[in-house]
Amino acid sequence: MNSWKTHTPEGVLDVLENACAFKRRIEENILNTFKASGYFEVQTPTFEFYDVFDNDNGAVDQSAMLKFFDRQGRILTLRPDLTTPIARMYATKFGGVPLPKRISYAGSAFRDGDAVAGAIQKEFTQAGIELIGNSSAAADAEVIATTIRALLACGLDEFQIDIGQAEFFKGIMAQTGLDEETIERIRKLIDQKSFVAIGEIADGYKIDKDLKELILELPNLFGDIDVIEKIKSKPLGERARAALDNLIEVYGILKDYGFEEYVSIDLGMVQGLSYYTGVIVKGFTYGVGFPVCGGGRYDNLIGEFGEPTPATGIAIGIERVISALSHKKIAQEPLVVDTLVCGEVARGTAFKIAEGLRGSGLCVEMWLGGEGAEDYAKSRGIGGIVRVVDDETIDIVNLQAGEVTRTSIFDLLGGDGR
Amino acid sequence: MKTLTIALAKGRLAELSIELFEKIGLDCAQMKEKTRKLIFNDEKNGIRYMFVKASDVPTYVEYGAADIGIVGKDTILEEGKNLYEVLDLKFGACKMCVCGWADSAVPGGYIKVASKYPNIAREYFSTKKNQTIEIIKLSGSVELAPLCGLSEVIVDIVESGKTLKENGLAVLEEICDLSARLVVNRVSLKMKKDKIMDIVNKTREIIK
Repeated sequence: MNSWKTHTPEGVLDVLENACAFKRRIEENILNTFKASGYFEVQTPTFEFYDVFDNDNGAVDQSAMLKFFDRQGRILTLRPDLTTPIARMYATKFGGVPLPKRISYAGSAFRDGDAVAGAIQKEFTQAGIELIGNSSAAADAEVIATTIRALLACGLDEFQIDIGQAEFFKGIMAQTGLDEETIERIRKLIDQKSFVAIGEIADGYKIDKDLKELILELPNLFGDIDVIEKIKSKPLGERARAALDNLIEVYGILKDYGFEEYVSIDLGMVQGLSYYTGVIVKGFTYGVGFPVCGGGRYDNLIGEFGEPTPATGIAIGIERVISALSHKKIAQEPLVVDTLVCGEVARGTAFKIAEGLRGSGLCVEMWLGGEGAEDYAKSRGIGGIVRVVDDETIDIVNLQAGEVTRTSIFDLLGGDGR
Repeated sequence: MKTLTIALAKGRLAELSIELFEKIGLDCAQMKEKTRKLIFNDEKNGIRYMFVKASDVPTYVEYGAADIGIVGKDTILEEGKNLYEVLDLKFGACKMCVCGWADSAVPGGYIKVASKYPNIAREYFSTKKNQTIEIIKLSGSVELAPLCGLSEVIVDIVESGKTLKENGLAVLEEICDLSARLVVNRVSLKMKKDKIMDIVNKTREIIK
């Protein structure tokens, strides 16, 4: 039988040191940006009861969740997203806090996918924010602006944030009076921007002519803010019109943030409509075939766990940001060790020197004893060796220049060396 | 200006696609020469063409390795990728059908279905017909399966129906119409909108 012990399962990865350092830096840039706007980080468990994710307003299909059992036979699930656990946490732990409540997070999420296409990651890292307890356009705009700032802080500049409105499509469909099944078919086709097939469906039903034209036009309604102007004259019901007004308001606020260059409109954004109740957001950039961030308003989710509370939020896909950055050839600086300290003859002094150098910001490794320190340092790319000769004397070996300088511990660390 | 990458399904579809692109004023001359090259650059228009296996076109486009792809609807349905399917190019028209012995009907109950398209077959029987079946995945000459008793029926593409007839088989049920489609990566449509919509709109005019 094959042994799998030297492999990782499809869809999960080891992250090696340089990549790991880069990933941490990206996460820190993002979390610091969030924190600076009052979004403080929380952590939720990596797995939860399946019931948490099994609700009418869920964002993830159950077949995409990785499940197992606890000792009582209850179903547990590796979290497929981080927003749902935060909604649960908020509803059960934050009773009576002043609103709005700002929360940020960073962590792994898990989704089971196509086992053959190993490149689709089953474990991926998301960092995001939730703004809870406020249903205004200002809240949606703040979340979008904060996300834009976070992407900029990572070093991305050529990206585009698309905003749509779940209520727009729902409103228009309510006007048609079509049954749910047909609406779902139309939704799928609009989601695929399948211009022709939508026409075929629309022709098969008795729908008002102007309304039909509008539905046919839906996949086309993306681009700059003008697309909204284009359809204002159409026979929109109150619900669809309110959705457009809301988008215009959000766009206006983003303009005041000075971010309009990053923002576009897509009225044909109709994914996850059972989950989103207002603004929907997706971010795109060059070099990644998938959105780098996504989110929107989900006013019905927190109510699944307690007091109904409006909320809006966006998550950034860390791995996708990293692949966009590597496409931009943004250098991932390799990790380096500055100095190797060898000092078996006077160990206490050697430790003091190492700590002293670390205190001044250098990365210092200790040689653990025996022969071969110089060869190790050279092949590891370490710039120099500090060799302790006795309690006061040291040799500084500059490996690049091949020079050895004898000096004292006081000269190296300054002061009297204590 | 960013280069646009177009993935074409090797074979007949690629030939028809090249014809189409020439009609909308793109330069495809180098692709018509006999060569084993897989990538062609049209530097004047900033377009790169790639020839890939038909069933891989949706994958290239989903990942954004190609911005645009031309591929049959059968492949799109079977691969189930997350793409924009913006145009029906009308060529390569045929049907996805359930076929079996002529003058018979698709048996009910638990039957064996052989197909090159297991996902389409499963979806059709389980969702549309609410029938639990066993799928036997084959890679070619699917018509053989009912003839030698491997399966009761097959799910396959039918163009003229000639192969079926010569083997005593016939179309029992039609699943859907198929033809070549223009698919676009979800990010590319946004990030390279002008260039892509230019091709889409010109193509739409021609196939009208």
